[in-house]
Amino acid sequence: MIDFTLTKGQIAAREHAHQVAVEEMRPISLECDRTEKIPQSFFLNMQKRFWGGASAQAMQQAQEEAERQNNLYSVISQEEMAWGDAALSTAIPGPGLAAPPILSQGTPEQQARFLGPFLDGNLHWGALALTEPGIGSDVAGMATTAVLDGDEWVLNGHKHYITNGARADIVVTFATIDKSLGREGIRPFVVPRGTPGLIVGRIEEKMGLRASQTAELIYENCRIPRDNLLSGRDGGKKAGFKAAMGTLDATRPMVGALAVGIARAAHEATVEWINEELPASFPSRKRHEMEETLEELGQELEMARFLVWRAAWMADKRIPNSKEASMSKAYAGALLMKITATAVQFTAPGENSERKQLIAKWFRDAKVFDIFEGTAQIQRLVIARRMFPDIDIP
Amino acid sequence: MPNFAPTEEQEEVRELARSLASEHLRPYGREAERAANVPAELLRTLASTGLTTPFPEEFGGSGPIEAVTYTLIAEELGFGDGAIAMHVLGSLMGPLTVMLAGSEQQQRAYLPPFCDAQGGYLRHGSLAFAERTGGYTLGEISATVCMDRSTPSGDTSWIVNGTKRDVIHGAASSPRVILARLDGQPGPHGLCALVVPDETPGLRITHDDNKLGLIAAPSASYTLEEARLPADSLLGEPGHPGVVRAATLYQLLRAGVACGMARAGLEYAADYARQRIAFGRPIVSYQGIAFMFAEMAMKLDAARLLLWRAATSWDKGTEVATLAREAEAAHYQALKIAKSATIDTIQILGGAGFMQDHPAEMWMRNAAAME
Repeated sequence: MIDFTLTKGQIAAREHAHQVAVEEMRPISLECDRTEKIPQSFFLNMQKRFWGGASAQAMQQAQEEAERQNNLYSVISQEEMAWGDAALSTAIPGPGLAAPPILSQGTPEQQARFLGPFLDGNLHWGALALTEPGIGSDVAGMATTAVLDGDEWVLNGHKHYITNGARADIVVTFATIDKSLGREGIRPFVVPRGTPGLIVGRIEEKMGLRASQTAELIYENCRIPRDNLLSGRDGGKKAGFKAAMGTLDATRPMVGALAVGIARAAHEATVEWINEELPASFPSRKRHEMEETLEELGQELEMARFLVWRAAWMADKRIPNSKEASMSKAYAGALLMKITATAVQFTAPGENSERKQLIAKWFRDAKVFDIFEGTAQIQRLVIARRMFPDIDIP
Repeated sequence: MPNFAPTEEQEEVRELARSLASEHLRPYGREAERAANVPAELLRTLASTGLTTPFPEEFGGSGPIEAVTYTLIAEELGFGDGAIAMHVLGSLMGPLTVMLAGSEQQQRAYLPPFCDAQGGYLRHGSLAFAERTGGYTLGEISATVCMDRSTPSGDTSWIVNGTKRDVIHGAASSPRVILARLDGQPGPHGLCALVVPDETPGLRITHDDNKLGLIAAPSASYTLEEARLPADSLLGEPGHPGVVRAATLYQLLRAGVACGMARAGLEYAADYARQRIAFGRPIVSYQGIAFMFAEMAMKLDAARLLLWRAATSWDKGTEVATLAREAEAAHYQALKIAKSATIDTIQILGGAGFMQDHPAEMWMRNAAAME
């Protein structure tokens, strides 16, 4: 039966995440953005909040519910975190983007070996290295190579735009074992921090999400054990490109949820600004126009959220959701840009008010949501290809 | 718990509506437009399924209406033909408003004829919603109704002032229901619904001629100047929440039809773009066209989700202010995608889209006429 009401457990998870956003993120948001640094206390507090206490209670409640909706839980929490600060939310300790390929392609032994340490109470991060200076969405041209030498894989290549790349304990790295195979030659490898030959390059300076760490990684004869290849439970037949793409079906709704969260923050702040700061002498016709624009954007915000929920719900139901995941990400990304641009246009930031500085920051944060995890164009390509499976759309 | 799948029962009803839409509505779209009416035979076929008698069983209906189910049905009918869908659903809105807002006595008076297996399907009710602005938001309703106790006989009566437009079946309907504000009171609680008899002093009805679209759903406009209605013409009591439920139900059904119109355009264009070859390839294989489809599908899904949410609120009996806001949003967004998708359909068909051999141009006019 069609239903849009959250369960008690989902509401509890949302409230917990919102509290974290209000208490831990908003107070340091502008400072972290300015300095491009995150205080150690934030990591420690996040560790406490997400691996024990209230979070454990919420998770417990979630587990007890008749039908678990893990992906839905995630997107609901992600929206709240991004409402707090999207850059900080990417830096919360945990396996992050390394988790989906390990969970979908790792053997039980590999899952325990690579994800087990995240439960030891200390600070750990994971990262995913796919993008290279020459390749983005078209991974067939990947230049990073992996060659088997005795009991070790030897990795050589150059990756960049890696979130948490310099602080990650493990980096799931995509590399080709045979360039002549194109996409089919691509495999995921787990590279632990400190492996000789894994070199951290520059940390990018960005227009937005400045507190989020974006690193360059260089692999120079980087040797890892043979069984660090995530070979898939079926012996490697489905690993590689499909693993990378399968990961995206799970993460695109998450990115959509982040976009919804920032968009909601900007929308709320603009509504508050009109109510609290717009002078009484402001022409009422113009005020009315602004209110109507915001009303419409508010409707689109709800549509974006429902697209995200639906894609996550499908993932929970194990219904193939590539098309819907891309829809959620494309719609939310575009809307985020629209809402933050409107917020900037209405409130004219630049003055020394925290609200306006935040609006300016969200506007800068927004643009990348139309780009990472597949650009707006790639999302449309994915949607169209799923709509027309019988037609080759190059 | 969030869930985005209709129930099995709803899927069955949807399937039924879909087959009716493609076998009976779609083929008659042009004919109905030329006749500015819907063939009686088609109405009989629809009525025989029970889809057009959503009234309590005690009056002979097929069971009370559920918004989610009827939103799904409305989309399928709109997918078949938007104008025929509006003809059928517009006709139901009169008795449905009586059902939702009227007293038991009023229900007994107006509902049974619509459930009559012999001729009920040919009856038309009407609900007058839009006014001078043409918009379908509760805030745009400004016709006023006041009580008048000064009649010579000592009876109370209602005095109505205002205008109504685009009333489907408005020229010939019973019950002819209008929405108005009691003493001009704003907000959802100020709304009331009244039945307007044919021979009402102060009522002027103008048949809408030369319409742009929705021609198969004949409509009329009203001017009410000190129009005097009998005491029992007010449905239920003033401020009855059923009035808002009827108004929002109309918004939801219209939104459902609009989603169906968008889907019809999208699918028609998709079939065309698969087959049409340009520069040696089907045109849909070009990203310029493929991206248009991705955009249409994404926005249609988004609008439909917003509509489903409002429909679940209707079924749960959510308080009227929230319900009104959600239904209004759903209606606005559904009409927006209906317009843009039908325009894009013509664009994808190219020159063929402009020709009346294809239904695309009629669909674009129909979508534009929804506003």
